[in-house]
Amino acid sequence: MIRYALTRLALLLLGLFVASALIFLTLRVLPGDVAQLIAGVNATPEQIAAIRESLGLNEPLLSQYGAWLGGILTGNLGSSQLTGTPVIDELLQKAEVTIPLGLLALTIALLVALPFGVLSALRRGRPDGTALSVGAQAVAAVPVVWAGMMLVIVFAVWLGWLPAQGFPRAGWDEPGLALRSLLLPAITIGVIEGAMLMRFVRSATLQAVGQDYVRTAAAKGLTRTQALLRHGLPNVGLSIITVLGLQVAGIIVGAVVIEQLFGLPGIGRMLVADVGNRDLPKVQGELLVLTGFVLLVGFVVDLAHRLIDPRQREAE
Amino acid sequence: MFRRTTVAAAVLAAGALLLSGCAGNPEPEPTATAITPDPDASVNIRMVLEPGNLDIRETAGAALDQILIDNIYQGLVARTPEQEIVPALASDYEVSPDGFTYTFTLREGVLFHDGEELTPEDVVWSLEQVKENAAYRDSARLAKVDTIAADGQTITLTLSEPDSTLLWNLTGRAGLVLEEGDKTDRKTAANGTGPFTLESWKQGDSITFARNDQYWGDKAQVAEVVFSYVRDPQAALTGALAGEFDALTGFDATLTEQIEANGDFSVVVGPSTDKGTLAFNSTKAPLNDVRVRQAIRQAIDKESIVAALGAGSTEYGPIPELDPGYEDLSATAPFDPEAARALLADAGAEGTTLELTLAADYGTTVSQILVSNLNDVGITLKVNQVEFATWINDVYVNRDYDLSFVLHTEARDFENWANPDYYFTYDNPEVQRLYTESLAATDEAESADLLKQAARIVAEDHAADWLYNGASVVAVSTGIAGLPSINVNERLNVAEVVKSAE
Repeated sequence: MIRYALTRLALLLLGLFVASALIFLTLRVLPGDVAQLIAGVNATPEQIAAIRESLGLNEPLLSQYGAWLGGILTGNLGSSQLTGTPVIDELLQKAEVTIPLGLLALTIALLVALPFGVLSALRRGRPDGTALSVGAQAVAAVPVVWAGMMLVIVFAVWLGWLPAQGFPRAGWDEPGLALRSLLLPAITIGVIEGAMLMRFVRSATLQAVGQDYVRTAAAKGLTRTQALLRHGLPNVGLSIITVLGLQVAGIIVGAVVIEQLFGLPGIGRMLVADVGNRDLPKVQGELLVLTGFVLLVGFVVDLAHRLIDPRQREAE
Repeated sequence: MFRRTTVAAAVLAAGALLLSGCAGNPEPEPTATAITPDPDASVNIRMVLEPGNLDIRETAGAALDQILIDNIYQGLVARTPEQEIVPALASDYEVSPDGFTYTFTLREGVLFHDGEELTPEDVVWSLEQVKENAAYRDSARLAKVDTIAADGQTITLTLSEPDSTLLWNLTGRAGLVLEEGDKTDRKTAANGTGPFTLESWKQGDSITFARNDQYWGDKAQVAEVVFSYVRDPQAALTGALAGEFDALTGFDATLTEQIEANGDFSVVVGPSTDKGTLAFNSTKAPLNDVRVRQAIRQAIDKESIVAALGAGSTEYGPIPELDPGYEDLSATAPFDPEAARALLADAGAEGTTLELTLAADYGTTVSQILVSNLNDVGITLKVNQVEFATWINDVYVNRDYDLSFVLHTEARDFENWANPDYYFTYDNPEVQRLYTESLAATDEAESADLLKQAARIVAEDHAADWLYNGASVVAVSTGIAGLPSINVNERLNVAEVVKSAE
């Protein structure tokens, strides 16, 4: 187990290193740079050149990359070329919005997916089961932007229960307000991701229902539901953990869209603004942290598999 | 010569010409008198584009000027929303008849936000810094200033040659007065003399100004103003409908009916110097042929563009109505697809394909009309919608474009037509001569007349097309008064804003 974990960790670090090179290079392909934006539409070529020089944009790419990588190894993610603020500070500040948003969305997704997924599997072939799975297909196909807008119109504009956009300036010092402002965006992402997840839960449950061990358990006197809960659920759980791992990346992408729509000062919105400003040290720092996070989730999912599934442990 | 004396309130009173001229709205407008001001109020204003940083000296972008100048930073002189030049940190000023000497009397008892007193040395230092530091935006605008000196409270600028734009330029970045030796990090903080202090900048979200209780003039009438950066027009609209904003700048005029429906908001439309500029790369075939450029201009239905935008007016030349030198140049290229087709046939340019590079911030309304209008005369228009950063790189820096669309917001920016190195690729010695003469003119009317002559030539050369003169569209809650309505993309002076106590 430990050897497995270490190998997996080495792979994670290797993945992160490859990602850093890819992130660095793809960003350099973007047309335009921060010096041109700072200089604006009345600048002379000399002024742009001077800004480029002072920001170190004229350094060879390899030495820029080396400096960035060296910084990371010493715990320095770099800082914004526009404001001089360290990337890590900005990330931590924006994470106050994005992480709770993601967790809330994930919770909602699970609350939707687990009961409805199992139910629709158990009621397969009956009208309510069919209605559930058709409903899930429909909800999963709804565009995030449209769903968000509808929710805002109903709950913020008509009913006035929740804010339509924005996050309190005092942040989590006003926990009630902060939570309320995350509710609609989290529901928007959560329900849609939940509907997608529900289909996996349903098919995993259906698969379990057909397994020999469930039949055997039923033959030993358990009801079908009891057999499923006791013997089927751990197996269903495995595939759900895998899908959840993938879902995390989906939630991050969803956050980029939803943070714009709800005017939330989170990581997604910051990323879009920084790309627009060509603040590359900031963008690459942010992307690397996000990539690292997704890789880490994959790592944890793999380890969890090992721990939950005795078959995988014994295969070693 | 153009002597103006002290009226401290003049700067501020101008901001009080509020909520006027809402086109097409027959209901009476709310007025300042109907409101009982709440001195502790916080006013939340929706803005569109957030600045990348707040360095008013080194970072370009109208988003900085818009909120920082007048509210936070001030110069010796300021401009009113009506584009008049009035005294600010100078209590009065005088220009010598020959146009070579400018004399300002500096106000006494002005404090910087950090509590330090404003001295004549601060003024001299500030102007010299701008003049000598080529990395500062607008440094070139002080190029004709020869000496800057202080004697007591009197500041004297002598020029190497007259410059009819100098006073105007001093109302902008070039003239801002900062504290000598100040260590404030201008990128994220600010230390000025204006009626508001920069309370906080929550990047990616909002900038908050607080009332400056030590202000030398009339104090602001609200405790704080929050500028919330919400780019998405729908998010802005729903936020307004949910009562989360007091005013929305850059409002999409086509949503007027929706926001006015419940009676909490009215949309105020004011004039602006925003010019929807369709630039032609005249160094490339077929746009190097004046007939092709004229054909494009005559193929475009300006009325339908203005109608689709829901605000603004048609524009046929480089100078908008708010700026000196304006005249109606619609006769230079009236909408006439028949004539356009004939011109293209004459130039042998039928069936041409052109590419339009436009910055994505401006949406697709205009480009859709252009595609259809040009298609009608046999030109295929390919639209390349890009990020602003890409636009700057491809169009502005590398001149790699056929047609380009950008909204130029800056007031009095005719100089770009007299600069052959500008991305407009327009090089006409006669226009350059007239512009130089207009700078040297010591009489306002004469200077404006020279600009008018130059602008006519630019329009007759079909150096570009001007698709519309944008309007300042602001949706204002009924509880708010005192917000300027003119040219708010350039300047949003909030010193006179009042919020109702109810």
